[in-house]
Amino acid sequence: MKKHYLFSLFFLMLCGQGFSQNQLDYSSEAVLNQRVKNLSQKYPQWIKSSVLTQTQGGKNIWLLKIGIGDDTKKPAIAVVGGVEGKHLLGVELAIGFAEQLLAKPSDSVQNLLQKHSYYVFPNMSPDATEQYFAKLKYERNGNANASDYDRDGKVNEDGFDDLDGNGKITMMRISDPTGTYKLNPDDSRSLILADAGKGEKGLFKLMMEGIDNDKDGQFNEDGEGGIQFNKNNTYNYKPFGPGSGDYPVSEKENRALLDFLFDAFNVYAVVSFGPMNNLSNPLNFNPAGVAKRIISGWYEQDVKANSLVSERYNKILKVKDAPRVQADAGDFSQWAYFHYGRYSFSTPGWWVPKVAPDTAKRERALQNEDPVVSYLRWAASQGITNTYTPWKKVNHPDFPDQVVEVGGIDPFVLQNPPYKMVPELVHKHTQFLETLAQMAPSINFVNVKTEKLSDGLTRISLDVLNEGDLPTYTKVGDRSYFLKKINVKLQLNNNQEVLSGRRMQNLESIPGKGASKLTWLVKGSGKIKIEASSPTTGSKSIELSL
Amino acid sequence: MKKKFLYTLAICAGLSGIAKAQKPEQILAAVGTPANPKVTVSWNRYYDYGGITEICKKLAAAHPNLVKLESMGKSFQGKDLWVMTISDLKQGNPDKKPAMYIDGNIHSNEIQGSEFALYTAWYLVEMFNQGNPAVKSLLQEKTFYIAPTINPDARDHFFHQGNTAHSPRTGLIPIDNDRDGLINEDGFDDLDKDGHITMMRRKNPNGRYIVDPTDNRRMIMVAPGQKGEYELLGSEGIDNDGDGLVNEDGDGAYDPNRDWAWGWQPNYIQGGAYKYPFSLPESRAVVDFVMKKPNIAAAQSYHNNGGMILRGPGSPEDLDTYNSQDVRVYDALGKKGEELLPGYRYLVVYKDLYSAFGGELDWFYGGRGVYTFSNELWTSFTMYSKPDGPDSQSKLYSFDKDLLMQDAFVDWKTYNHPTYGEIEIGGFKKTYTRLHPGFLLESDAHRNMAFSVYHAYNTPKLSVSELSVKPLAGGFTEVTAVVNNERLIPTHSSQDVKHKIEVPDVISLTGGQVVAGMIVQNRDLGITEEQKSDPANIKVDNIPGYGFVTVRWIVKGNVKKFTVNVTSKKGGEATYSN
Repeated sequence: MKKHYLFSLFFLMLCGQGFSQNQLDYSSEAVLNQRVKNLSQKYPQWIKSSVLTQTQGGKNIWLLKIGIGDDTKKPAIAVVGGVEGKHLLGVELAIGFAEQLLAKPSDSVQNLLQKHSYYVFPNMSPDATEQYFAKLKYERNGNANASDYDRDGKVNEDGFDDLDGNGKITMMRISDPTGTYKLNPDDSRSLILADAGKGEKGLFKLMMEGIDNDKDGQFNEDGEGGIQFNKNNTYNYKPFGPGSGDYPVSEKENRALLDFLFDAFNVYAVVSFGPMNNLSNPLNFNPAGVAKRIISGWYEQDVKANSLVSERYNKILKVKDAPRVQADAGDFSQWAYFHYGRYSFSTPGWWVPKVAPDTAKRERALQNEDPVVSYLRWAASQGITNTYTPWKKVNHPDFPDQVVEVGGIDPFVLQNPPYKMVPELVHKHTQFLETLAQMAPSINFVNVKTEKLSDGLTRISLDVLNEGDLPTYTKVGDRSYFLKKINVKLQLNNNQEVLSGRRMQNLESIPGKGASKLTWLVKGSGKIKIEASSPTTGSKSIELSL
Repeated sequence: MKKKFLYTLAICAGLSGIAKAQKPEQILAAVGTPANPKVTVSWNRYYDYGGITEICKKLAAAHPNLVKLESMGKSFQGKDLWVMTISDLKQGNPDKKPAMYIDGNIHSNEIQGSEFALYTAWYLVEMFNQGNPAVKSLLQEKTFYIAPTINPDARDHFFHQGNTAHSPRTGLIPIDNDRDGLINEDGFDDLDKDGHITMMRRKNPNGRYIVDPTDNRRMIMVAPGQKGEYELLGSEGIDNDGDGLVNEDGDGAYDPNRDWAWGWQPNYIQGGAYKYPFSLPESRAVVDFVMKKPNIAAAQSYHNNGGMILRGPGSPEDLDTYNSQDVRVYDALGKKGEELLPGYRYLVVYKDLYSAFGGELDWFYGGRGVYTFSNELWTSFTMYSKPDGPDSQSKLYSFDKDLLMQDAFVDWKTYNHPTYGEIEIGGFKKTYTRLHPGFLLESDAHRNMAFSVYHAYNTPKLSVSELSVKPLAGGFTEVTAVVNNERLIPTHSSQDVKHKIEVPDVISLTGGQVVAGMIVQNRDLGITEEQKSDPANIKVDNIPGYGFVTVRWIVKGNVKKFTVNVTSKKGGEATYSN
């Protein structure tokens, strides 16, 4: 493990920018720091990196601002990786996007960034992702905050235990007549719940590998790993749960990100790489969801925008069968829509593909929904053989008189593909993030007319057109003062006076491809300047002669 | 530094002695009031942040054994958020005694909460100092954490800048209220420069107002069919940014009492919410302080006005949080409050006031399991000790005439307005309608202090009321202990128990080798529940108010002497040896 790490570090220094192509595994903290540094050095004209905060564990929360000139004056997408610590792919997709985008021909990068900015947060769970590189590997989402998951007054007193000594936490099954699990008839390497309703009998208790260290009757209920970034946000937050904390946004990393985003008025969309997936499977409009004052569903016009974006995503990704996922309480991507008021798009970026039965091996269609068996079948089709540990008997202090076996698939493999598949996934998601930027709201003046009613009296009329595919801001953001309206101003000279219409006014959201009609009656002569601007649309101005 | 401070103190004390010609021997104490306090404070006026700071420092300097002054953190503008720990510091650790947290002035225009909180601190320590036994035993058992103002920036704005009685409610982080990209660009303008934002009126034959024939200061609306003489143009101000709106984006404008982490909702659902719970530095400082004081079992947050003793829930969505067991405790406290505070009513925020998410009292209760009230100080009942009649407005004018020598009103004066032309400016001062007139301030501060004392007194008081030892056959001893809570408030509210907010109380036995331990659910019928791990230290979820729990141990051998220790975060500690 360590050797491997040193090797990639060495590679990195040797190859500089070529590094990402040569990387062999997901990025540890040190590797990510280096990749950020390399990017900032290679493209100082386009990217500025800074440390938003450091976690309780002393790890960097990076912010990469990608833009030209004043990035805040252009519409922007926030790209967030490491939403869950066990999802290392999310980190790769975020940092990889920055690398692949900026490595494109300089003209096209320049053109894109003239009109659009990106804010990339490659890893929001750096304390947790590091567990992948630790001596004991297990799926971890919690940060380094010493938290009391079972609220018994003791901290981290009962974590996992590597009973078979293989350096990774897998599953543990205990033969027990009161157990609720049976062997999966599709593939006996995995276990599924016995259906008592059909008279089936359970044979095993199934739990994560470990012992009841504090002898409280619960297993592994309060180990290393504190508050989870993806459970600590304000929307649908549930306090006091394992990993959620005592109150929302209690963690430094959540606070730092939210503080930045709330002040980034130009962000119109947030793309997170995490468990939720409204890019493969767009949301449906549910009128009941917006009927109450605390809404629980997207507004209809926002659902339409989601469908449009999802269509483009699926065209680029060309992958089907994305699993449907239920959002966690306090989840980040939901926060980005419901509480931040921006378009929020989320995808895990990859999931275990469904594989047709291999007739040569006399495989049959799977009868039971079981992600482990699906994974094993897919892994076999890819020639991946080293991610399953056969069940093996161990001595267990809590079950001295029972048969206890440890085994199952490796941690991380259900969310993170083998690293060799990552560059292609980064490529596709980079393409998507560029496509999304093309859909950004953008305003223009059309049908501009000046009518002379009489000498020195002119009627001006025009349409403010949103040429983008997405509205200038969301329906949910309509009433939030963290989203700015389009401010339209007339700049008059001394002999001009507005007789009708407003010298200064704010426009509500304009739908994608929609327009807002304005008219003024102006007394006087000479040049007059009209300017419209908002952070999510950029600004536009014209000069007319009266 | 210190010398200088003491010297100044001495001078001040000396001066006040001379100026007031009051020597101890000239005074006959009025009952219930510290007649000869170490720190003299006039309780018939208001103090800005500097004034509050000085009073806090004087109290801490004069009563080092009763007051510990510290800063919870800084406000947005960098002012220290003072909190005084008030307890008999020589008897026990104040952070281990059942405690009450009191703050004031979360809404910056609701200033008298600070004076009420300060009065509470002052009264308790001065009465203690004069040897009052009730206060002495209270401070021996309990701790008060008193934060006079948790919105000092905007408090000073209220004091020193042009404001109405209703402004500012916010803190002073700049906010773009009209969402035009500009910040605080069009607030009130104190056109007549008197420190009060009053009303603007203009003569207009099409107006719908006339001068009240019974009081020429008052504007009344005419009846349909009648002709008016004036139009009202709102609060003093001009269209500073030329956008066609007057006073639409003034200083700040969020609500610090929508920044708390229970049922919090964003500003498009809950007007006034900021970014996320505790995104304001002031409430952040409070929560950081409170999280470090698990002994807080009661809380009060002073607001104005209307004479209300409020409890949550703040919103109907949160109705289930306040279950019947906890409501019984609230009711018992609140009903007592109604007796102590004439004209005040014990009410529930969401149904009797308005619905609000993210309020402080909901977080203290929902998030920490602490029984919490917000008193809305000042009620017009107090003016004539009578409930409001049908015309409560006219009472404001008559009270001002009858008892305040017309000091509460700024008389109408003409003014040349850049947009409206010739207008008149006048109306009630910012210090009237929501704030106590001077002569009623001390009296109501005292009554509210008494209510807090009652609330704090009723935090748990634990004792071991029985320790029985019985030899068992086979070489064992059975030890049974009964632990009582002598007060109304349980060690864990049922909200606390439900979410395991605070760790359980622990009842420990020393003196023998414990082989088994159990909670006795029914002593007569012999029903018990065993605690398998660590049986010497029995964990109980709660010791109910005016209730008890019974625990039992089986000890090896024939032992007779034992000690029982009880520790509870909110209930304090108790110990008993036979």
